[in-house]
Amino acid sequence: MAESRRTFLKQSAATVAVVSLPGCAPTAAERPDALVPATLRAVGEAVLPEELGADGRERSVAAFERWSEGLEPVAEMAHPYLVPETVFTGPDPRPGWAAQLSGLDIESGKRFGTSFAEVGVPERRRILEPHVRRAGPDFGRPENAAHIAVALAAHFFASPIATDLCYGRAIAKQQCRGLAGAGDEPAPLPGAAS
Amino acid sequence: MSQVIESDVCIIGGGISAAMVAERLAERTEASITVVEAGGRTASLEERTATRARMLAYGENPYPNDHIPGQTGTGEMYQSMVLGGAAMHWGGAVPRYSPEDFRVRSLYGVGYDWPITFDDLEPYYQEAEERMGVAGEQGPPEYDPRSKPYPMPPLPLSWNLERMREWTDAAGIPFWTQPWARNTEPWQGRNVCRRCDTCAVCPTGAKYTPDFAFDRLLAAGRMRLHGRTLIRSLDLASGSDRVESATGFHQDAPDQPVEFRARTFVLAAGHSWSSHLLLLSANSRFPNGLANSTDNVGRYMTGHWFASGFIELPMRLYPGIFPNNSLLSHRFASPGPLDRYLRHDIRLWESTVGREARLAADDGRVLWGDEVMADWRARTRSTATARIRSYYDVIPTPESRLTLDSGMRNRHGDPMPRIDYVAGRATLDLEPHTHETLLGRFDELARAAGGRMMSTRASRLFEHPGGGCRMGDDPSTSVVDRWGRTHDHENLFVVGAPTIVSSGCANGTLTFCALSLMAAEEIAKG
Ligand SMILES: Cc1cc2nc3c(=O)[nH]c(=O)nc-3n(C[C@H](O)[C@H](O)[C@H](O)COP(=O)(O)OP(=O)(O)OC[C@H]3O[C@@H](n4cnc5c(N)ncnc54)[C@H](O)[C@@H]3O)c2cc1C
Ligand code: SF4
Repeated sequence: MAESRRTFLKQSAATVAVVSLPGCAPTAAERPDALVPATLRAVGEAVLPEELGADGRERSVAAFERWSEGLEPVAEMAHPYLVPETVFTGPDPRPGWAAQLSGLDIESGKRFGTSFAEVGVPERRRILEPHVRRAGPDFGRPENAAHIAVALAAHFFASPIATDLCYGRAIAKQQCRGLAGAGDEPAPLPGAAS
Repeated sequence: MSQVIESDVCIIGGGISAAMVAERLAERTEASITVVEAGGRTASLEERTATRARMLAYGENPYPNDHIPGQTGTGEMYQSMVLGGAAMHWGGAVPRYSPEDFRVRSLYGVGYDWPITFDDLEPYYQEAEERMGVAGEQGPPEYDPRSKPYPMPPLPLSWNLERMREWTDAAGIPFWTQPWARNTEPWQGRNVCRRCDTCAVCPTGAKYTPDFAFDRLLAAGRMRLHGRTLIRSLDLASGSDRVESATGFHQDAPDQPVEFRARTFVLAAGHSWSSHLLLLSANSRFPNGLANSTDNVGRYMTGHWFASGFIELPMRLYPGIFPNNSLLSHRFASPGPLDRYLRHDIRLWESTVGREARLAADDGRVLWGDEVMADWRARTRSTATARIRSYYDVIPTPESRLTLDSGMRNRHGDPMPRIDYVAGRATLDLEPHTHETLLGRFDELARAAGGRMMSTRASRLFEHPGGGCRMGDDPSTSVVDRWGRTHDHENLFVVGAPTIVSSGCANGTLTFCALSLMAAEEIAKG
């Protein structure tokens, strides 16, 4: 099952690579801050729950990619309460994250003789562990993550889907739901562990 | 040459207090009304769905362009200078002060009595609640006195809050639903709350923000709005103490003065900018600033402090059902006779503190994918977290003060406000007793649920600040009378937060609005 998912992911990464062959203007995938899809998905396999299944993990990684595309560096943040100062989000983390992804490939090549996406999940975790350890124990906001692996995991675990999975209930946090039903215990997710 | 704008009433500032005054005057008088707001407009209701999405995704300010670069001071101040003011961002928690708040000197021998009683203000509380649309649950009448029902039924308790109320009932402390300026029924053309849970920015319009009131008045042709126009001085008529004009500058024409002339001027510029403008408007007859013949402008700046904590509860709660609702008790705001003074509220929320997914286990081991889930589930299966917080009143003191800071100037060269909040001896002497009692109460509550305190914190941030132009019958110790009319200038009123005598132990904005409406009644007399 894990093997076939890896094969699938390799295939889809190859497809993305073909689609993004050079044209006149750089495509999103060619920009220096582009997150290499195959390596990013390989990180996803290491840090996202297996219980999501291949489709669920693919959706989570794709959601992260969309989110990261929309990220605006040094954006004005919500004002802190009763502090007359404007605060901004940090500089663009994407070039650093892109460099980290290629760093993972280089390290994997040196350690295991092949790319990060080619090695198994345990090997990937060995490579990622020092980076994740440095970031923990809390995820923090994804845009502040010092490592792409933490950003990807933080993005998923902060999502309404992750909360619903954790509790095995259809809570749908932060989605406009109407007042009716607020007093009910949230319904169990079909087939969910709780 | 300056442009001259004439009206019967000129309101300076476009926040919630201004909205209350403008609405009441527009409905009950024929007066022509001008509102001058230093800031521009921010995200419209239609744009709030998109700005909310970016706030959730990236933590961005959902109200772009809601402040003026360089127009800022030092101390606890709101950053927002925009049509709607700080109440664009607000949560909309709208408790009333308690009757005791107005009589602390007579009842407990501390602080200052107000020149008005709760009963004087009660009809204006009701009116403010109706104007903004408040959903609330009647608490025990001795702790939640009111002459009429809340305009709307309360927000429903979530499944979590129902469980928490079972717990507080068992502890023997009466709690009820926090009143909110959020609709549970369609109200003045605005939607019903849809439980989107981002009340800092409400995508449905269920939360009241003052721009709704201004837009209604503008559509009806009942007021004129001069946005992006900063008033820099109030000027007296020659040989008289009456204010004749307010001089402002549009942000795009900083060298071209705009002169606003009116029969009555209403300063509704909030807790920091109202005193600031009076001090800035000093002239040869009032060398210390307008309305400041007795040196009270900028003094008695006040707010409440709080103690808070997180409680681990032996129960399963589901985060995110409706975390923007909460339970409230004013049981200890009306405590009866006291040996040592302490009055406070208690508020309870569900919380995710200590129950979030995490990257590493307690022993430092890095968690991966399914392990993160397993660890998260283990920490949430049968335990939950509640947040508890109590506001308690800081006894105002004249040394708590707003002054002009010549070291910090705006683009026009005006000195900016500096607020040095100070707690007087009375508050500091009481502080150990206050904390001991509050933390004891928190602990008792936790134990009543079979839970435990996870952490506690004491804050000295002056929340829901006000003061600087406090009201009183005696001109030697106050700036305005009970109606907000300045003792020194018969046609100059200050409304809302600056006029409070003390800030009680409840969120203040409803009280600021009630005071503004009471002032509007007097202003309407012409
Ligand atoms: C995040 C947040 C959450 C909050 N939640 C709550 C809550 O749940 N409950 C509660 O009770 N309170 C809450 N508050 C506080 C509440 O928002 C304020 O008490 C209230 O909005 C103050 O209104 P105001 O009209 O007194 O002043 P402001 O909102 O400050 O309005 C004054 C306006 O005057 C303008 N102005 C100032 N000087 C000049 C000048 N010289 N010329 C022209 N215009 C000028 C300013 O630009 C401003 O727009 C919250 C505040 C924040 C920031
Ligand atoms: S919970 Fe209600 S008031 Fe709050 S953002 Fe959602 S709809 Fe608006």
